[in-house]
Amino acid sequence: MRPATLLRLAVAGTRTDTARVALTALSATLATLAGLAAATVLAIPTQVCCGGRNLSEQYSNALLREPGLRGGTALALLLLTVPVLALAGQCARLGAPARDRRLAALRLAGATPGQVTRIAVLETGVASLLGTLVGLGAYLAGRELLDRPDARGRLALPTDVLPPVGVLAALVVGLPLLAALVSAVLLRGVSATPFGVVRRGVRERAPGPWAGLLIVSGLAAFASFNPLLNWYQDRHRTPPVLLPPLLLLGGGLAALVGVVIGTGWLSYTAGRLLHRYGRGPAALLASRRLTTDPWAGSRTFAALLAAVVVGAGAAGMRAMMLAQVEVHRRTGAVEDTDGFYLRTMDLVDLAVGVAMAIAAGGLVVALVEGIVARRRAYAALVATGVPRGAIGRSIAWQALAPAVPAVGVALAVGFFFSRGVAGGPVRGGGAMVKVCDAGEQLCADPATRAQHVRFVWVPELTVFPDVPLGQLAWVGAGALAAVLVTVGVGLVFLRSSTAVEELRTT
Amino acid sequence: MSTQHVLLGLLAGGARHGYELKRAHDARLPRARPLAFGQVYATLARLQRDGLVVPAGQERDGGPDRTAYALTDQGRAALEHWLGTVEPPMPYLASTLFAKVVVALLATDVDRARAYLTAQRRAHTERLRELTAVKTAPTASLDDIVAADFAIAHLDADLRWLHTTLDRVADWHREVHS
Amino acid sequence: MTQLAARGVVKAYGRTPALAGVTVDVAEGEIVAVTGPSGCGKSTLLHCLAGILRPDAGEVTWRGERIDTWSEGARSRLRRTEFGVLFQFGQLVAELTAAENVALPLLLAGTGRRVARTAALTWLERLGVADVADVRPGEMSGGQQQRCATARALVTEPRVLFADEPTGALDTLAGEQVLTQLVRLAREQRTTVVLVTHEPRIAAYADREVVLRDGLVDHTGLGLDLPLAGGHR
Repeated sequence: MRPATLLRLAVAGTRTDTARVALTALSATLATLAGLAAATVLAIPTQVCCGGRNLSEQYSNALLREPGLRGGTALALLLLTVPVLALAGQCARLGAPARDRRLAALRLAGATPGQVTRIAVLETGVASLLGTLVGLGAYLAGRELLDRPDARGRLALPTDVLPPVGVLAALVVGLPLLAALVSAVLLRGVSATPFGVVRRGVRERAPGPWAGLLIVSGLAAFASFNPLLNWYQDRHRTPPVLLPPLLLLGGGLAALVGVVIGTGWLSYTAGRLLHRYGRGPAALLASRRLTTDPWAGSRTFAALLAAVVVGAGAAGMRAMMLAQVEVHRRTGAVEDTDGFYLRTMDLVDLAVGVAMAIAAGGLVVALVEGIVARRRAYAALVATGVPRGAIGRSIAWQALAPAVPAVGVALAVGFFFSRGVAGGPVRGGGAMVKVCDAGEQLCADPATRAQHVRFVWVPELTVFPDVPLGQLAWVGAGALAAVLVTVGVGLVFLRSSTAVEELRTT
Repeated sequence: MSTQHVLLGLLAGGARHGYELKRAHDARLPRARPLAFGQVYATLARLQRDGLVVPAGQERDGGPDRTAYALTDQGRAALEHWLGTVEPPMPYLASTLFAKVVVALLATDVDRARAYLTAQRRAHTERLRELTAVKTAPTASLDDIVAADFAIAHLDADLRWLHTTLDRVADWHREVHS
Repeated sequence: MTQLAARGVVKAYGRTPALAGVTVDVAEGEIVAVTGPSGCGKSTLLHCLAGILRPDAGEVTWRGERIDTWSEGARSRLRRTEFGVLFQFGQLVAELTAAENVALPLLLAGTGRRVARTAALTWLERLGVADVADVRPGEMSGGQQQRCATARALVTEPRVLFADEPTGALDTLAGEQVLTQLVRLAREQRTTVVLVTHEPRIAAYADREVVLRDGLVDHTGLGLDLPLAGGHR
């Protein structure tokens, strides 16, 4: 096959295919940007100066200035690629049945499995390459545009460093290669048989209890974190180097996977309950779809739930920090780092918000795909007089029935994660503390401050951090709002998908 | 259709006399042209002459002579042979329908041919509907249904031919007269 | 008596005309076949008569009342309560069992679930597919699916059944079984049937035939004097 023919066949598709290509490119762009940002932060050279504090004083932001924080910052940026990759995964499913049929038709026309795979791989690869190139361009342009030192000559962003060329190339070329590889693996079924579409047996097996076990073991890991470290501390021994990250990362991963898998179980159970107690056709339609493919919920909500877990964790951490600040205030040991940590939490919250928005994008794609795939049956229902509202309600049920409890579980897991890491009540006091007991003006001036400073005994005190109900509610409400918005967008597509013309298409 | 072989088949179950044979024939082949008594007796005479059936006793209860006939071994063999022979699929085009359209085109004009085809299509459609009604009647037996199916399939084929020929008649006329 | 009628109905898709002024009268309890070559506007006429599509010009009346001017909601209600619709394929909801699919219109009308299921089972029984009541469409044969769809179309005991190539995707025998049962049940219930088909053999199940050609009525075949079963002469 000539390259021109290959390209022609790769781009011969409907609007849905164009949309898929555009969305694939877009997610590649986003992933590239996040990756490049992380690489740039890591590329900041650590200077040895300033009395061993190794600060990179050219930046106004402490996250960049302090070498100890840069690793975390880069990790957070890399974590942003998770919802982006989830979005890419959803996009790959967009119009996939139609494309599989088209590729199967090519097989029937005599194309070899290799040729068909090459066509599909080319589509994904080229789209991703375009995306990564756009991402690289945006990154380079952004470096020029945002390179604005403030009055003290400090930079807001590390626009003065460039990651090694090797890393740049790896990102720009590696991502499309990875995407092409994944699509080749996903296409095995189609290229193996020219009939592409295989009649799929109905999966009626209920999801097992693994989700619960994973969540419980994750929570157990969090809960044992502080007691274990204290146990070592009490005996003046250092815990094994791998123990803390193993407990935190392993526990976190187990809990996260548990939440995502648990959504399958929740979908199934919600479907069964809805089937038994629900009234009306909307509930019936939704319940059967939930029990027939409970994993659809896991797939679609995975990124959103991950964002909720992180958001709830951040809320818990913030509550801990506020408790810490409270202890400092009461004991008079005010530290200037408090404000910094709280500002950092603002950044984490922002990242959670961005992740949720991207996850909502993936949700829209998944929902619309589900509607478009069922357009014949829906159009037939509308023709028989089923109001579009009833179908719309079934779609809303289907999204919300598993989403509400799943978001609740995710909030709880995230919160307990933060409790496990940061420990419970914050203790302070029980020591002599230097206190300046004059007015603010006098204490601020170093000259007069010394006269008013005295040592006082601060009794031991314990502050229990609040359960940040307000913030948790915000995170949960944000996630559910994202689901509701996607349902709304889906209903817009429902109208065009139930037009009578759909009855003529196959 | 071979009346001889049908009668041989009806006798395969045991000896029967002429009247019974006619009744059985009309019941089992409901859509076929009904068999006349004269034809039954003439055919039986021919079968007897060829040694395929033999008279198997007479009964007389008030009415006319009733001779029952039974299959001979030779008759059974002839029946076996007939059942085992594949019918040649349409060796000759022997349809009056077809002949009439050709003649109409040769002798008259396109409109005449078209008028004939339209009228014929209507008649076919009517007959098709009648047979379908017979078939879907709640009282229809499987004999009725299978017989109606046979006729329906042929009418359907004719109708398809009528439809396409109606669309081709102008071109056909041009070709015939060129 | 005319129950359903189209008067000078015109409908175009973009610049492609589908119906160019069709007038058809359908009497109560009548089985009318709409036939003609592909692209003649058969399905469009059915969709207009059923109130699924709105004609660009002309009128559609149901019991003397114009329905083409009604809102989508009102026409939806009419379709749900008075009409049944049957398509060529793919109209069953894949995730629901046969019985649930059949019960769906009743549930929409507010019938309780138990009553709806009983009625659904009765109709599946009448169409001879009671054995697949708890099976999903994906595991049924095409004929079984179409019979379930017929049961769904008839379960509300509609006044009119609209069938658009109901046997188009079936083999001869399966198609015949579907149609035989459909016609028998329609006659029992005195349901009017508008049957769209391109096959003369299928059209023969009707009392009367309306033949369309290029968006116009080409001719109307006369019905039998005795359209009821057993009317062979």
